[in-house]
Amino acid sequence: MIFIMSLFIGPRVMIPFALSDLEKEIILSIRLPRVLIAALMGMALGASGALLQGLLKNPLADPYILGISSGASLSAALGIISGLYLFGKFTIPLMAFIGATFVSAVVGILGWRRGGLWPERLLLAGIGLSFLFNAALMLIMSVSTDEGLRRAVLWIFGDLSIADWSLIPYGFVFIITGLLISILRAKALNALILGDEIAHSLGFSVYRERFILFVSIALMTSASVAMGGIIGFIGLLIPHIVRFLVGADSRILLPASALCGGGFLCIADLIGKSVMAPMEIPSGIVTAIIGSPYFLYLLRRKDVLGI
Amino acid sequence: MSSAYRDPILEFKDVGFMYNRGKKFISNLNLKVGNGEIIGLLGANGSGKSTILKLAGGILRPSEGLITLWGKPLRLYKNKDRAKLLCYLPQILDINVPFRVKELVGMGLYPYEVTPEMGVDEALEIVGLKGKAESYIKNLSGGEMRRTFIAMTLLQGAGLFLLDEPLSNLDIKYQIEILKLLKDLKEQKSISIIMALHDINMALQFEKVMLIKDGKILGIGIPDSVLTKDLLRIAFDVSIDIRRHDSERAYISYENSII
Repeated sequence: MIFIMSLFIGPRVMIPFALSDLEKEIILSIRLPRVLIAALMGMALGASGALLQGLLKNPLADPYILGISSGASLSAALGIISGLYLFGKFTIPLMAFIGATFVSAVVGILGWRRGGLWPERLLLAGIGLSFLFNAALMLIMSVSTDEGLRRAVLWIFGDLSIADWSLIPYGFVFIITGLLISILRAKALNALILGDEIAHSLGFSVYRERFILFVSIALMTSASVAMGGIIGFIGLLIPHIVRFLVGADSRILLPASALCGGGFLCIADLIGKSVMAPMEIPSGIVTAIIGSPYFLYLLRRKDVLGI
Repeated sequence: MSSAYRDPILEFKDVGFMYNRGKKFISNLNLKVGNGEIIGLLGANGSGKSTILKLAGGILRPSEGLITLWGKPLRLYKNKDRAKLLCYLPQILDINVPFRVKELVGMGLYPYEVTPEMGVDEALEIVGLKGKAESYIKNLSGGEMRRTFIAMTLLQGAGLFLLDEPLSNLDIKYQIEILKLLKDLKEQKSISIIMALHDINMALQFEKVMLIKDGKILGIGIPDSVLTKDLLRIAFDVSIDIRRHDSERAYISYENSII
């Protein structure tokens, strides 16, 4: 529903049954890829947020806490100011993806001790790296006069306007792979939430499961950042909203967070590109503006989860 | 069940263990746990109670010696297979995610591909939490929380329970409740239990206790033979005695008044 609506509503509302050639062209080459990217990114962020909150046993965790996003931003900014545009229009996404993967690996290495990943170490490593990369990014921005940087800044706040078909196959592969892995390991995530010892007692190999889940988070988050920058709110609060609505069992929570994240980002993008057309509000801002009040409303209204 | 089985289900043979690069924490530990046996594991803080339970559960690996489960080395079991034979519950059960009771209990089925006969409802009935299936874990009392986890381990179907201080932080009422529940399980399902304790009075209620200090067994057997003044002095570094009024249960008494 949301998906179809997003196709036909925009700065220019179209009637699905009477499309001119120009309108068909707009839908196929601009709106459809953009909606697909929004849906994929939202799915990735919703699911990896739910995963990470379980893995770190921290309700404040969002996928960006691992430093993946700041690494991606820094790397993308470097790619832009180097002025080379080595890979044409692929420069930003590719540099971002390289940065994201690199940071995931570094966080993984720093979080590794005695044969496995330790949640607290992952969290602290991610936070430490975030500060480092953010500082480096600020430094670059404050000394550079490059015009392209404005684009980089826009991108950092979540910019879906550069969307086209070329990125979708890659994003799709990474995100769907991560999503499938995590949904298949949902029981392990449930068990890990009860604590390492209970997970072990229930027959899970704690280190292995945690590593697999970390990889799937890194895959989804990196791909999402590379496709459209950093979009807040979804990774942090969608899992909470979904938990309010369907409960905490990861087997339901993960797919539901993915669906809600995807749907929600489509709506946010739709609103962002429509309400002030032709100007666009970055999706990251829209998600927070409409999502947060709903979240707070739920928090007030429900006897939430026994808190 | 297999009450004809005479060999120990769990056996420690000359087990030694050291934490990373530390000096030996446990050495030459020998222990046999029979079918349907409840053993109270008593010792001061840091005496090695948890370490012994974690070794028995396969969470820690011995640095020397051998641990066998049903006659086969513990480390040779696959995770899922081991989970069907023994289960371990830590001392602190701290769940900050809003699972419901029935969801948590249902996790006991995770080691199984095919759902065994017992269901969540039956397990909840056994532990006396039938009406609480939909409650959130967080809203339970300490005793109910313990019983929820015991229901989970019941579904897990293991014959050996390794419980790390299951009575800690509970009011005496819940302590008795949990002990009764465990005793029923032992009698009805011939489940074997090793339970870490630090309350000597509680240990006096057990048929079999094991007193440890610095990772070594000071004594194992009936409380009368193990919980003696001398051994308790070594284990807890304090002078206490066991008294008994006629036919009543024994209790501890301090040599001098404390305050």
